[in-house]
Order: sequence, then C-alpha cells, then structure tokens
Amino acid sequence: MNLAVNTPWALTGLLLTLLPLFNSGMRSSPAPWSALIPADTLSVFIVCCLRLCAMAAIAGLVLGIAGLHRTEQSRERIGHGAHIVLLLDRSSSMDNTFAGRAPNGSDESKATAARRLLTVFVEQRQTDLIGVAAYSTSPLFVMPLTENKNAVQAAIAATATPALGFTHVSKGLGMAISFFEQQPVTGSRIVLLVSDGAAAIDHDSEQKLRLWFKQQQVRLYWIFLRTAGSPGIFDQPEDSRDDNAQAMPELYLHKFFLGLGSPYQAYEAESPDALKQAIADINRLENLPMHYVERIPKQDLSAACYSVAAFLLLVLLGVKFFEVKR
Amino acid sequence: MKHTLKDYRIGCLLSALIAMLVLFIYPSKQQKMPTYNYTFIIDITRSMNATDYQQDNQAVSRLNFVKQTLRELLQKLPCESKVGLGLFTERRSTLLFEPLEVCSAYTEIDTAISKIDWRMAWAADSNIAKGLLSTLEMLQKSDSSVIFITDGQEAPPVNPNYQADFSTVKSQAKGMIIGVGGLQAVPIPKFDSQGKQTGFYAQDDVPHRSSFGQSNLDPSQIKGYNARNAPFGSEAATGNEHLTALHETYLKKLGAESSLSYARLTDLQNLSRALQNPKLATAKVVQADIRRQPALLALLLLSLVYLPKAYKFRRFFAKECR
Repeated sequence: MNLAVNTPWALTGLLLTLLPLFNSGMRSSPAPWSALIPADTLSVFIVCCLRLCAMAAIAGLVLGIAGLHRTEQSRERIGHGAHIVLLLDRSSSMDNTFAGRAPNGSDESKATAARRLLTVFVEQRQTDLIGVAAYSTSPLFVMPLTENKNAVQAAIAATATPALGFTHVSKGLGMAISFFEQQPVTGSRIVLLVSDGAAAIDHDSEQKLRLWFKQQQVRLYWIFLRTAGSPGIFDQPEDSRDDNAQAMPELYLHKFFLGLGSPYQAYEAESPDALKQAIADINRLENLPMHYVERIPKQDLSAACYSVAAFLLLVLLGVKFFEVKR
Repeated sequence: MKHTLKDYRIGCLLSALIAMLVLFIYPSKQQKMPTYNYTFIIDITRSMNATDYQQDNQAVSRLNFVKQTLRELLQKLPCESKVGLGLFTERRSTLLFEPLEVCSAYTEIDTAISKIDWRMAWAADSNIAKGLLSTLEMLQKSDSSVIFITDGQEAPPVNPNYQADFSTVKSQAKGMIIGVGGLQAVPIPKFDSQGKQTGFYAQDDVPHRSSFGQSNLDPSQIKGYNARNAPFGSEAATGNEHLTALHETYLKKLGAESSLSYARLTDLQNLSRALQNPKLATAKVVQADIRRQPALLALLLLSLVYLPKAYKFRRFFAKECR
C-alpha cells in the first residue's frame, strides 16, 4: 500500500481518538441508583458501536489533516519498445539546408527537419525510454534515459539554438553508449545517430567503441543527412588516392560501423522525406518485448478520510435525536 | 425537541457537520504563488576548475560547487517553476534543454546538472561579455530569466576597444549574473588528454593580452610600436592571467550594461535568496488546498463532545485517596 502523510507531526492528533473511551458523548440522565438498572447487552453493544464511530470519525479527520496519501508506485509491465539514445550532431553545418545553403523561406535547415521529425518520432514511442546526447567538437550530455517525453521534447527543441563547432563523432558515440551503463538489458538498445557529416575515428577510439558496442549490446542506426554534392555513405572513391579515412570519412565511418559486429543500419537522407522514411522504419522494426516500469502517481487519500469522517458525524448526529429526553 | 437542542453536544455535532459541508463545497482557494523560470547558463571554461570553495572540509572546484548548489536549489524551487540548462564557453553558449517543470522532471534535470563537465567545452577561449550578449540574444524570445554563472575570468583579457554592445538586448534582458570563485587569486589546474591533472597553468602557458586589432593605448607609450607590424609593441606581455580570482567589478559592470543584477555565490541560502528576486518571479494562480481549516474546526468540535468530564476525574482521584 505504501501509505504516507505530508505532515507527520499532525498524527499526534490521533491521541484524540482515545477521548470516546472516557466519555460516551451522551447526556447522562439521573437515576436513583445505577446498580438497579438491569444489564442490557444490546445497549452495551450500541454504546460500543457509537464510541467506535466517534473514534473513527476523529481518526478520519486527523488523517485527512495530516494529508494521507499513497506514495508513487511503480509497476513492472511487459510491452514493446526500446531504449533509445538520440545522438544529435550539433556541428555548424546542420544549420544549412539539404542543398548546402543557409535556410531561406522555402527550404528548412537540416537541423529543423531533424527536429521536426524527431519530435513526431518521440511522440509515437510512448513506452520507450529515450535519452538525448549531442556532440560537436566535444560530447554533450543532454538528457538521461527517461520516460518523461516532455523532457525529451524540451531537449530536442533546444537544438533550435545555433549549432557549434566541428564534428567529433567518436566521442559522441562513446557518450551515447555510456547511457546504457547501469541500465537493465531489456528490449532493444538503440543509438540513433543523426548527423550530416562524419569524421575519421582514431585507432584507440575505434577499439574502445568496438568493445563498448559489444558489451552494451547496442544497435546502431545512422541517419546521414546528405548535403547535395557532398560525398555519401555508399559512394566508392573514383580515384584510389582518395581511398582513405581523411578524404572520405563518411564511407570509412560506414565501413567501421559495418565491422562492429552489432546490428547496424544506415540511411542516407537527401531530403526531409527520406528522413521520414528512415524514422518510420525504426518505428516498425524496433518493437521487441521489453520490461518497463509504469509509474502510478501519488494518490491523495485525504478526501476519502474526510468523506468517511463526515458520514460518521452524520450518523452520530442522527443517533442524538434518538436519545431519551426527560 | 427543546431539550435536544439545549444539549451542547448536538450543537457541536451539527456545527462539525456544517464545517465538513463547507470543506466539500470549498476544498481549495485560488492563491497567488511566486514561480520562477530560470535558464542556468554555466561557465565551463578552464578557470572554473580552480579549487577555491570548501565543502565538507575539502577543497572543491568552482564548477563542482556550482553543480552541487544548483542541485540543492532544485529541491527548494516551488512546483510549476521551470529550469532550463545551458553551457558557456568560448564566445557563446549552447542550450542543452528548454525550461522544464521542476517537480515532474526533477530526476532528469538533476542528472543533467550532475553530468556537466568542463570537457564538454567545444572551444577553449573565454570571452564573457560576448558570451553573455549572444546568450541574451539567443534567449531574447523566451520568457525564461537568464542566470549566467561565471567567474569573470577571460582568456585572453579583452581589449577595451572591442567591447560587446548590449544596447540591443538591454530593454528585454531579464536575469542575473552569478559570480563564482574566491577573491584571492588561485592557480588553474591543467589536465592531460586523459583527464588527469598534470599540475597548474604557468605564466608562460596563457596569453596575457589580446593581440587582436588595435591597441587601446596611446601609440607613443608603446615600446617598439609599429602600426602595421607591431600594433601592440615589441615587448612580450606579462601578467597574472594564469591565476584566477572572481572578477567582481567586471561582472558588476557587465550587469549594469545589460541591466542584469549581480550576486556572488557563497552558499545555497545566499543564492536562493538572490534568485528569489521579485523581478524574476511570476505570480501564478494555483489552487491551494484549504480543507485543513474546516477539518480542524470539526475535529475540535467533535473532541469537545467527547471531552472527559472534570467531575469524573475528581471522583476517580477521590477514590484513590480513600
């Protein structure tokens, strides 16, 4: 049940419940000698009941005043969903359109498109735990994994502020994976990387990321917002001299992700519509059975206490009119 | 009937019942309560790592002290208040999340504050005036008050010729500048790429003046001055920029220019008093629970009915004595 009160000291008022034990609350009528009155079990019973009623009424009022409530409960349930970390690219180029220009009236920037679609995505994933991390030159911890969708939306909305610096994807990925530490492994674990560029990952980071992806059993979705004219994930180098991570970071990052050994899916979105498709896919695929905790908010019981007390008061008052009047 | 009404007990019970009736009809009252909407912008530049705060007899860094104090403050804010979070470094700040209601999102805000790290900085300069200006411009449209938390240490020190102009944001700016740090200059810890401390910044490690643009001094006073090749002269600048102390006068000046008030962070009470500035509060009408008052009245009246009679006690004690 987990009952609690708001003001514990008010419970000292419960001592008042002892009062009816000392006083029947009835007018005493004069009798020559009380021993003469024959014992009457029914009367004793009724008096006891009335005293109990009075005690309960007092207790009800005191508990109501103390603010009796049931504390927040959590119930474990099994549903479909995932633990998702949104890893958002905050590098300056995200503020340009898919055509690589500064946004004007007709075209929205990549960041705006991503924000709009992610907002819808989060709305659709009601049972998921969603966290948000961002990265530019350094990783930013934004929002821990949470079922509070308002918090996630506030974090996504904050990406409307101007973007920062460069793209340092390996640190961002490390930050995103760290969200899953000390989280139960249930349902699917997803890192949803939304970026418009890539960067070469150094050897040390590569090894660490490989290990962490395996340890934490994370699946990776990469939504690559491709700017027109820039190299894509699936492009093969035309010149063998360009076949290196510095010249084609997107291709090499893709190769690295393929070699991670954990499930990985890449989407190349060249317009807001393609981005929508990628998000719809994830929505459809990632619905593994998952244990999740449903929270039942704190319930106020003082209203019930007051109602009971009021009803008992009514009974006591009613009984008063049946007293013998002399 | 006459007799019945004469009995005080009936009067008491009847009044108690009426009190309960009132309780159910008017369970709450509209009440104005101050609520707040803050966006904390926290300086995460290197100087914030200087350890000049004490906590539990241990020296803690400015940043850790700020984090700890904000987390404690979070518990004190009334429900319906909102808190957003942002970081400052270089010449601008970024917003991590927009203001969230503190009671429903307490854990999320608390975790986010606890995870702030100086390594989140995306660049290593520190120009507070420009940072403050860009923050105020960024949050101009939001109705949140900007709480800019910084120690005022700039790297490199700003040339007075190139100062930020707050005239565009002055009229709408709402918020405070919170100064962090001690007034005694202390060294700034230096970290390696693994995050381990490797000593402190030395005098040669930091720029002691900005060499951007034109010098603010009279050219005839500058040794080795050459308008094109050496506008700042030929001498190497020296100074104490490798040490850091709270630049209170500078922050107060910025506050005056941008019409923000200034307060210094010393402890939680102080901060919470400073932030409860009526200028930053908005009165929100909330339904306050007033069921207690009639319930208390009913309880008193009911207890009166069952109050033990004094003469019974007298008789009881008399028996004992005999």
